[in-house]
Amino acid sequence: MSLDFTEAIERKVMLFDGGMGTMLIAKGLTDREVPEGWNIERPEEVKAVHSAYIEAGAEVIQTNTFGANRIKLAASEEGRSLDPSEVNERAAAIARETIDESSRSGIFLAGDVGPTGLFFPPVGNLTPGEARNAFKEQASALERGGVDLFLVETMYDVREALEALRGIREASGKPVVVELTFERKPRGFFTLFGDTPSEGASKLASEGADMVGSNCTIASADMIELARIMRTEIDAPLIFQPNAGKPEMEHGKAVYRQRPEEFAADMMEIVRIGANAVGGCCGTSPEFIRMLHEHLVHGH
Amino acid sequence: MNDLYEECAKAIIDLDGDRAEELARRSIDEERPVLETIEKGFVRGIREVGRLWEEGEIFLPELVVGAEAMKRAMAVLEPRIAAGKKELADTHRVVIGTIQGDIHDIGKTLVATMLSANGFEVHDLGADVPIGRFVEEAIASNADFIAISALLTTTMPGQKRVVEEIEKRAMRDKVRVVVGGAPCSSEWAAEIGADGYAGDAVSAVNLVKQLATAS
Repeated sequence: MSLDFTEAIERKVMLFDGGMGTMLIAKGLTDREVPEGWNIERPEEVKAVHSAYIEAGAEVIQTNTFGANRIKLAASEEGRSLDPSEVNERAAAIARETIDESSRSGIFLAGDVGPTGLFFPPVGNLTPGEARNAFKEQASALERGGVDLFLVETMYDVREALEALRGIREASGKPVVVELTFERKPRGFFTLFGDTPSEGASKLASEGADMVGSNCTIASADMIELARIMRTEIDAPLIFQPNAGKPEMEHGKAVYRQRPEEFAADMMEIVRIGANAVGGCCGTSPEFIRMLHEHLVHGH
Repeated sequence: MNDLYEECAKAIIDLDGDRAEELARRSIDEERPVLETIEKGFVRGIREVGRLWEEGEIFLPELVVGAEAMKRAMAVLEPRIAAGKKELADTHRVVIGTIQGDIHDIGKTLVATMLSANGFEVHDLGADVPIGRFVEEAIASNADFIAISALLTTTMPGQKRVVEEIEKRAMRDKVRVVVGGAPCSSEWAAEIGADGYAGDAVSAVNLVKQLATAS
């Protein structure tokens, strides 16, 4: 089964999975825990989420390692008790097991890499070297656990995304997908640090990212517009993973109200614009991915 | 005559900390009323910076540098507030921080600066503040307000836990809780039993003032 992700995206639109954190919260993860801890404490629950996404039709599943870099883990009490290498390797291993146990073939495993949570100057004191080393360490452990590619996501500062890309490159030769997260402002789409979609994606593509795009923060309707902007200006393969609408708070919990049908219809528009991969972020569940899978198969 | 205030505002909008500090000193040399310098000068500047941020004209790095410039001016002026008009601070102390698990510092710092500029005694605990720490600091400083910022849907339940902790320790009558941050709302404040919500630094000051005078 010598699958090559970069070949696969030339042949077809790849379907990534949806939200992990919101799925674990639904399974009882509390705000006192870090989601990555469940790779060790409750691996069966994490595997159940992976399995549900595979059954729904996802062709790429993402490890439960969004906040599993050393710097981010050090920010919380529970995180500090976890060994970064162990968490990442275990997370990749259980996702790999889920793929091996599945009856479907051709599933890729993406090692998920999120931001450090610290900021570069002038906002914070994070240095490029610290960030790169943390990402390199995470990528080495994910590689040992058996990932096929890396997915850097929810990056709000292109400088940090670039360090993630460089750190991963130092640890592995596997493909790297990089997603920035954009807010919609009156003047257009910008990251928290003011990067625009076309500048941000160009920098990442010219630094050698195999696929670039956007995830989180905005919902599918806004993501259509963002996809148009990126497709017009970027030649590299593109990926989009929006949230399931805007979260509303209900009884202390974030509730995402978008329906899977609406999400899937918007995502098909993004495919028509020229996306090479699609998937979901916060609030999306296997139902969203199943619906999108059906649309992709039937081509409407 | 009021050009100095214009210059103060401009120094903040230009994100120029050196200039802001220099102007703060000049206002003292010229024996200007301190609160007037803050409100008509620097606060107008930081408000404009906040507006530019909202509009997407500037971004987080500029916002932070603007807030730093504001802090530098305030550091010069604050000792003078203490020496002069201090009636609010005599009776009202605010413990403020961003809730545990959340490192977003800027909005909270703006609110802290504005409260301080308006004469409140502010105890800023920074970001990622544990539930118990808010309550302990409120006891230690004899505060009558706790202001809690949360920028993430995953961390905002912590605001509720602070309210619960205050109730548990039978301090509810003594301490008012106000909340803020992108995912919060008046409905959320009501749901968790907080005393109010404010969507920006200026309304946060108005809210706390209003609650303070109502007492």
